[in-house]
Amino acid sequence: MAKTFKGRPLLAGNLEGKALASKQPLNTTGSYLENLFGGNTTSAPCTDPNNKEFYKKDLAGAIICTTTTVGSSLGGAALMGVGDLGMGPKAMLFSEHVDSVSIAGLLMDDIWNGKRVIAIDLLGDEFLDAVKTGDPLSIKEDGTVEVG
Amino acid sequence: MKRRDFVKTMPLATLIPAGLVAQAGNALAGDAQAGNAEAAKAPAGKGPAPTASDGGSKKVVLPDYAGKLQTSDGSVTSADGVTQPGFKHRTSNADPKAPYKMPLTQEEQDIFDGKKGEELAKVMQIVVAHGNVFGAEKLVDLGGAPHCSLYTGTDYMKPMIKLFQECATAGLKTYAPYTVNPRCYDLYNVNNNETDMQLIYEGYKLQRDLDWVHAQLGAPDLNYRSCACYVDEVGNAPPPGTYVAWAESSAINYGNSALGIRTNRNAGGMELLCGLLGKAPLFGLMTDEGRMANWLIDVKTTKEPDLGVLGTAIGLKVIDGIPFITGMEKTLGTEVTNDNMHLLKKMGSATAASGAVGLYHVENLTPDAKEKGRKLLKEGYQTYVYDDAEQARVLAGFPVEWEGRPEDPTVCLIGCPHNTYKELLDWGTKVTDELEKRGLKTGAIPTKMFCSNVVRDHLVKEHPLLVGKMTQAQMRFTNMCTVSYAGMKDFSERTFGVTNSPKTRNYYPSVRYLKDDALIEVICTGKIPKSA
Repeated sequence: MAKTFKGRPLLAGNLEGKALASKQPLNTTGSYLENLFGGNTTSAPCTDPNNKEFYKKDLAGAIICTTTTVGSSLGGAALMGVGDLGMGPKAMLFSEHVDSVSIAGLLMDDIWNGKRVIAIDLLGDEFLDAVKTGDPLSIKEDGTVEVG
Repeated sequence: MKRRDFVKTMPLATLIPAGLVAQAGNALAGDAQAGNAEAAKAPAGKGPAPTASDGGSKKVVLPDYAGKLQTSDGSVTSADGVTQPGFKHRTSNADPKAPYKMPLTQEEQDIFDGKKGEELAKVMQIVVAHGNVFGAEKLVDLGGAPHCSLYTGTDYMKPMIKLFQECATAGLKTYAPYTVNPRCYDLYNVNNNETDMQLIYEGYKLQRDLDWVHAQLGAPDLNYRSCACYVDEVGNAPPPGTYVAWAESSAINYGNSALGIRTNRNAGGMELLCGLLGKAPLFGLMTDEGRMANWLIDVKTTKEPDLGVLGTAIGLKVIDGIPFITGMEKTLGTEVTNDNMHLLKKMGSATAASGAVGLYHVENLTPDAKEKGRKLLKEGYQTYVYDDAEQARVLAGFPVEWEGRPEDPTVCLIGCPHNTYKELLDWGTKVTDELEKRGLKTGAIPTKMFCSNVVRDHLVKEHPLLVGKMTQAQMRFTNMCTVSYAGMKDFSERTFGVTNSPKTRNYYPSVRYLKDDALIEVICTGKIPKSA
């Protein structure tokens, strides 16, 4: 049975796809080393071994469901960088409050470059309890996320 | 209220709808936004994510320096190697019942609507959207000068550099000449081997472009590059109460605390956008409420505390909280001056590196604390007693051994954040005096003195003979970033660094932290004293 969660749409949009979920935070710089430093433009295997659920999974075009993001204050630039390679996520769904670093990069890419990554925060812990990798998701521009 | 509880009460506010609704209802529908909406409606093509091997992607060979370039801010790694929430803002005062849009003045709205150019409009839209996310009260005019942390000319910085180059091409400049973090490398004053040169020329391919962007937007020449922008020689030390938008963890920490300026912990890039606008959203550490302390740090050591250990302990304890530190009068005095700024810099940068402290108060010393005293303590604050036992416990957590590292120290790293003039003078005097006392012509290992060129030049001008002796003692000045240097490829395998910097040690545990007396012994003998 589908479950519905309501978050705060920071960068709104409608999207359907499958979830890539982790209850651990996403390290924005540490997760994209193959892209940021290795020039990989065909996939984005997560290179952060600290996130066991994301590690080695392809982050390219993913709907990332996580708590928040961690890592360098250049994390926003990193998100712009992978977006520039066409390897960024389609959406980032946060159970907690978005952090100032990742949202800075997402806003810059959206407003300056016209590259939108849908971003919703404050979905709550229950969201991450419910969503599993591979679950179908339906995202609405009012911040509603339907799981299942 | 705990952060997690607070977060649950946050609003369901649409901050940037699919078609980008302009601030206060005025539409601005550029091509970019139209494109956004289309992109946002597209299905996620990738679906469930295969592993790299499953996906059949070609084998990617990572350069060895990958992942070793992001330094200076943000990554906080626990003793277990787990990345912790670091140098970021994660709270908001937005009204939980309604979508939030901060009010704009007519002049701000005109800029937002593009009446002063497309590029400045986009700058305004980003800054406003960012402020809305954190429930900013309004935009405030900035004073002093910006300090920018964009210093790494790595490949992934390409879109960021492109953005700011477009600003420069449009003729935008910051509201005042701004300071920038030091470069990641130094081609002249350290002995770069072939491996280092590979990192420099392949890892930082966009450094020239980044430096050029800074020059166009209002940064002075590279001689002023420093993370310690507030020293007299660099000159970016706005008066207390000044709103600024800085980035760089140690500079923000020192500025908010010792100078009493008001800046948030900005993401790389956001500080420069605010600098171009001359305005920043008012929230967090820029507000009276946001500067209240939630921790009382009661220092009760029987001797003067080791400031590096104390700062590290505070960061580990409060993470991104705001500490109010007592019991420091004997160590730090009651006035912030050029004679004690290095002590505050040392302690504060450690709080920002081991945790994510953007502001601390020291009773009877720092500007906010002198003005408000213990009224700065929030109701329900927690207390952390730092005594001899606690100092010993935290110090014991600093690694002494490191696998694969040379047996004895090979280089001494002094100055992270960058040295002040007083530090250069004190270290130069102490080391050369000690060598002379022991009848030694030179140090047993090289010492890198990290500072801006203008601070070095001050010492050359005032004490040319001492500088000559320092050169003889293998003490070389370099204006690069210490943590970037310590993060170079295979640094820990081929180098055994020792340092007086708790910040460097926090980022690179292979570099051993020592007290000043022990470091002087190492410089003279090449051996770490057993008592250290």
